[in-house]
Amino acid sequence: MEFGPGFWGPIIATAALLLIVAVTWLILIGGRRITKAKPSDQKVQTYACGELLEAEEVHADSELFFSPIRRVFGPFYRYVRPGHTGILSTYLFWVVVGLIIILAAIAVVLW
Amino acid sequence: MIPHAPILAILLPLFAAFLMPVVGILARRRGIKRAREWFAIAAVLAELVIVASMLPAVVGGQVLVYQLGGWQPPWGINLAIDGLNLLVALIVVGISALVAIYSFVYMERDTGLDQYYTLFLLILAGMMGVTLTGDIFNLYVFFEIMCISSYALVAFRRNWQSIEASIKYMIVSSLGTSFILLSVALLFGQVGSLNIGDLMQKFGGVVPSTLIVPLGLFMTGFGIKIAMVPLHMWQPDAYQAAPSAVAALFSGATTTVGIYAMVRVVYMLFGILGVGMILAGLGLVSMVLGAFMALVQRDLKRLLAYSGICQLGYILLGIGLGTTLGIQGGLFHLFNNAIYKTMLFMIAGTIIYQVGTSNMDKLGGLWNNMPVTAMAFMIGALAISGVPPMNGFASKWTIYVAGIEEGQYVFTIIALVVSALTLAYFLKAFNSIFLGQRPKHLKNVKETPISMLIPILLLAALCLVFGVLPHLGIELVRPAQEAVMNSGGYISAVLGGV
Repeated sequence: MEFGPGFWGPIIATAALLLIVAVTWLILIGGRRITKAKPSDQKVQTYACGELLEAEEVHADSELFFSPIRRVFGPFYRYVRPGHTGILSTYLFWVVVGLIIILAAIAVVLW
Repeated sequence: MIPHAPILAILLPLFAAFLMPVVGILARRRGIKRAREWFAIAAVLAELVIVASMLPAVVGGQVLVYQLGGWQPPWGINLAIDGLNLLVALIVVGISALVAIYSFVYMERDTGLDQYYTLFLLILAGMMGVTLTGDIFNLYVFFEIMCISSYALVAFRRNWQSIEASIKYMIVSSLGTSFILLSVALLFGQVGSLNIGDLMQKFGGVVPSTLIVPLGLFMTGFGIKIAMVPLHMWQPDAYQAAPSAVAALFSGATTTVGIYAMVRVVYMLFGILGVGMILAGLGLVSMVLGAFMALVQRDLKRLLAYSGICQLGYILLGIGLGTTLGIQGGLFHLFNNAIYKTMLFMIAGTIIYQVGTSNMDKLGGLWNNMPVTAMAFMIGALAISGVPPMNGFASKWTIYVAGIEEGQYVFTIIALVVSALTLAYFLKAFNSIFLGQRPKHLKNVKETPISMLIPILLLAALCLVFGVLPHLGIELVRPAQEAVMNSGGYISAVLGGV
């Protein structure tokens, strides 16, 4: 199949991807054989603000996973996110706003 | 083709829905276990056979017109099946069949399954009616059947969260269906017909400015159903509160039907007004907002709901571009989105089934407990992010190429960036659920039951097949793309020289 200029061979690409996965896996296995893991108490202890935590108690906050993006797009989250808090009147307000935007866009396209 | 297949495709789930309570009562009296489940699966599989029987004729270029009561259109009601609605019917019935199989075990802990399967078959009847009808008022009636069933399905578990979400969904969606009814009335007043083919033919003689209000009302009404920004806010609440089987059905089938209605009515009927770029623009806003909102979600089902809004944007962008490649890409993405979105909601359901929560902060390290489910999630996440060699890559690539060919470089760049954001929030989800340290209380979590895994793995296989062999997908959507671009064939087949 053609996707305009250039070349995309999905079967060749898939075969290449599988080959790369296999090579990566071999490197990983080989690395583990050469350098064996040597865990010690000090290495596996989790230190947080002066407290030692069990490994099972530590979990990254999923909302803060991309906190840099949240900081960069701060205005977006400050103004848009509050509209998604479950208040029905806000939902209905946005339906009316949507209708007005759509009507205005159609009018602009027509004239 | 099976005789009377078009009307049977609507009547079969409708009658099966009303028979379901009787089946439930008889099964309880006679001590037959799982009778409701088997009855629902049998009904949906029979439906699949009926719809598939229409495929050879439609792929051969025919438009099947079924006149109810022998009345000639535009005076009588008719069902008109071309490549577009047959593709949608196949997606709807295929997804419904897989959801019925998935529900077999997923819903076993719930009570009131007579009602669940009744509503499940009723929503299927509504979706088939919207898809197959050639009459705009009937489209509205079936749309209402579909919507009312979906409100009840969201509230099925009758806890405060699901009831609240259902009421909000009902109020917002009722506003949308009211817009659609008002628009149907306005169109009938102006053109004097309710037949879609007849309306298409008569639109040439109508002053375009008089169509602004009906078109705007249609776009808003269908836009609410497909959760197009800024009409999308009900969706994350409803998808989070609904049982995951229901959310899978909504994301894979109901949204597809909504997009079909948007394409059939807004794009094909009002195509003369050049609404393509409005759809593309709204699609772009939907994909950006959906992606940014998905990035900050803690709940997997809410993340998937926002991701659905984002993917809808790609579909609208492709179709809105209006070129052969754009429409092919948009329809191919519609097909792919139904596959991986249904699968991802099913996986969210299996996590809830096994762990009891979809809050990603309370999950982690489940790779060792659920390796097959984790692998399927990874396939779905890569597919939806447009990573080769998955099916999402093939359809997104087609849309990008169509965008560049049309000179819409800004649209294409934004679509590419949003694809990277999609990968980012799915990596976050995968990491939070399956990687990292496993909390102590998840030590004994087991792999997904096999009957729930079967539909998931089948959908995962489809993600791979349509990615490695994208020409299969393009060939599958080609009759639909031709139908979208050739409304003259639809008009002449429906009106038959009238």
